[in-house]
Amino acid sequence: MLATVTILLAAAILAVLAVGVAYVLGWANRTFHVAVDPKVEAALDVLPNANCGACGFVGCSEYAEAIARGDAEVTLCAPGGAGCAQRLAEILGVTVEESYPYRAVVHCAAHYDDRLLRTHYSGEATCASANLVAGVQGCTYGCLGFGDCTRACKYDAIHIIDGLATVDYHKCIGCKACARACPRNIISMVPFKQERMFVVACSNQDKGPEVQAVCTVGCIGCTSCTRRAELMQMQGNLPVVDYERYEGNDHFEPALAKCPRASMIYVGKPSPADLVAVADEQLPDRVEADFKTTVDETEWRG
Amino acid sequence: MDTLISLLQIGIGAAIINNFVLHYFVGICPFLGVSRKVETAFGMGCAVTFVISIAALLSWTFTYFILRPGAPLPGWVWRVAGGDPATSVDLSVLSYIMYIFVIAASVQFVEMYVRKFFPPLYKSFGVYLPLITTNCAILFACLEIMKNLQDPTRLWGLHEALTLALGGGVGFTLAITLMAGIREELDMCDVPKPLRGPGISLLTAGILAMAFMGFAGVDKSVADALKRLTENGTPRVEHRTLNTEY
Repeated sequence: MLATVTILLAAAILAVLAVGVAYVLGWANRTFHVAVDPKVEAALDVLPNANCGACGFVGCSEYAEAIARGDAEVTLCAPGGAGCAQRLAEILGVTVEESYPYRAVVHCAAHYDDRLLRTHYSGEATCASANLVAGVQGCTYGCLGFGDCTRACKYDAIHIIDGLATVDYHKCIGCKACARACPRNIISMVPFKQERMFVVACSNQDKGPEVQAVCTVGCIGCTSCTRRAELMQMQGNLPVVDYERYEGNDHFEPALAKCPRASMIYVGKPSPADLVAVADEQLPDRVEADFKTTVDETEWRG
Repeated sequence: MDTLISLLQIGIGAAIINNFVLHYFVGICPFLGVSRKVETAFGMGCAVTFVISIAALLSWTFTYFILRPGAPLPGWVWRVAGGDPATSVDLSVLSYIMYIFVIAASVQFVEMYVRKFFPPLYKSFGVYLPLITTNCAILFACLEIMKNLQDPTRLWGLHEALTLALGGGVGFTLAITLMAGIREELDMCDVPKPLRGPGISLLTAGILAMAFMGFAGVDKSVADALKRLTENGTPRVEHRTLNTEY
């Protein structure tokens, strides 16, 4: 008798509670309903939700709201790329011009051996600190190689190789984090209209002799390239490529061939010749951690 | 006055002496997870305090009228069913499922309410509210209230339950904010490599807990002093060479 009543009563109480709570929550859901623009939700579904901030908004949801209000272009999402922009445009009923993925380009080509007048620096091992100290290396424009960009990259796409920040274009999503972190502002975002892009890999604005004194590959501003390629213009002592009108790499071949230094390079997908050059090299398998060893993103440094 | 003193004892006890996080080790997940920045930690603490109070209100009501031994509702059903008045139906087995249910539902409700009527508040701690649903500190407060509703001769009233919840919430806020402050400072310290990350966080939490052990016995001494104050008009603190009670 006692057991029966206990069981029945327990079942009855839980059933009543379930129905009651369901009713109250359902009522609250209707009464407290906040009208959200369906466009915002649709846009949020399309966005990658990486919350990287490349668009300039705090996160994907802020960007979605801005799009729905009409305050932002649909092409700002770097990780989403053209496909994302296309779908966003469909949601909003606008047409989108052809857009290209923006990728980080390091405007420096000097490895340790190429940089002259380097001194031993034993301060805090960050570019931001080293940049405050005069005389860490001769070139005051080039890469310092302490890896602020590597630490800023959430996607493991930029590494210091022999003292030079090098972008891994397989992994780069174009979030601009490295460009923001670089204290010397030598990383810029370039629209990758092709898989291999022609870039000027030097940031040194000094005149020829001064550049030659500090670097073996830096641009000396001889204007040989701007005379051969129409899309290159001198800005100060550096040639700048006009990526708006960039159409193919052939246009730059004469300029590249005549460059007396090594300050113009192709970045992006390796060419067949590059692949042949490294075909014999034996590389150990990459070991990649599949877990996070720290609970947060705090940088622990001595 | 006795009621006030006992309330004070319950409140201070829950906030400092038997701090939920640092004495009972409940609510460790948000304590370690959301204690990176002081502002977010404080926001989390406030959200927990809010939800814990609502959960205490609801769980006290359910426990008092339904779940405790000798509760009115099952007793009435038992008598209506024609049972022997000497025995009674005990529904305390339902406590866990009931508390979880009530906490989850009330958090949902609060979230919807805040979203509708206080959008800025929702933006600032809306993200924490669903997290709190599974916070064991809140379940712990409910179970503590249930424990004090077992003995029919000494039943907690709603005010005592709410004091415990508020004290517990304030204690949680205190602990998580302290922890966040320490961790912000730790970012600038040279931590030995093997201890970086979770290691040093747990060590910090342990040392913080040990520091809070120093409060043991404070509630009783304060209560004694207050009692003497109300009886004699002058506070007299009894000097003891050795406190054998703790």
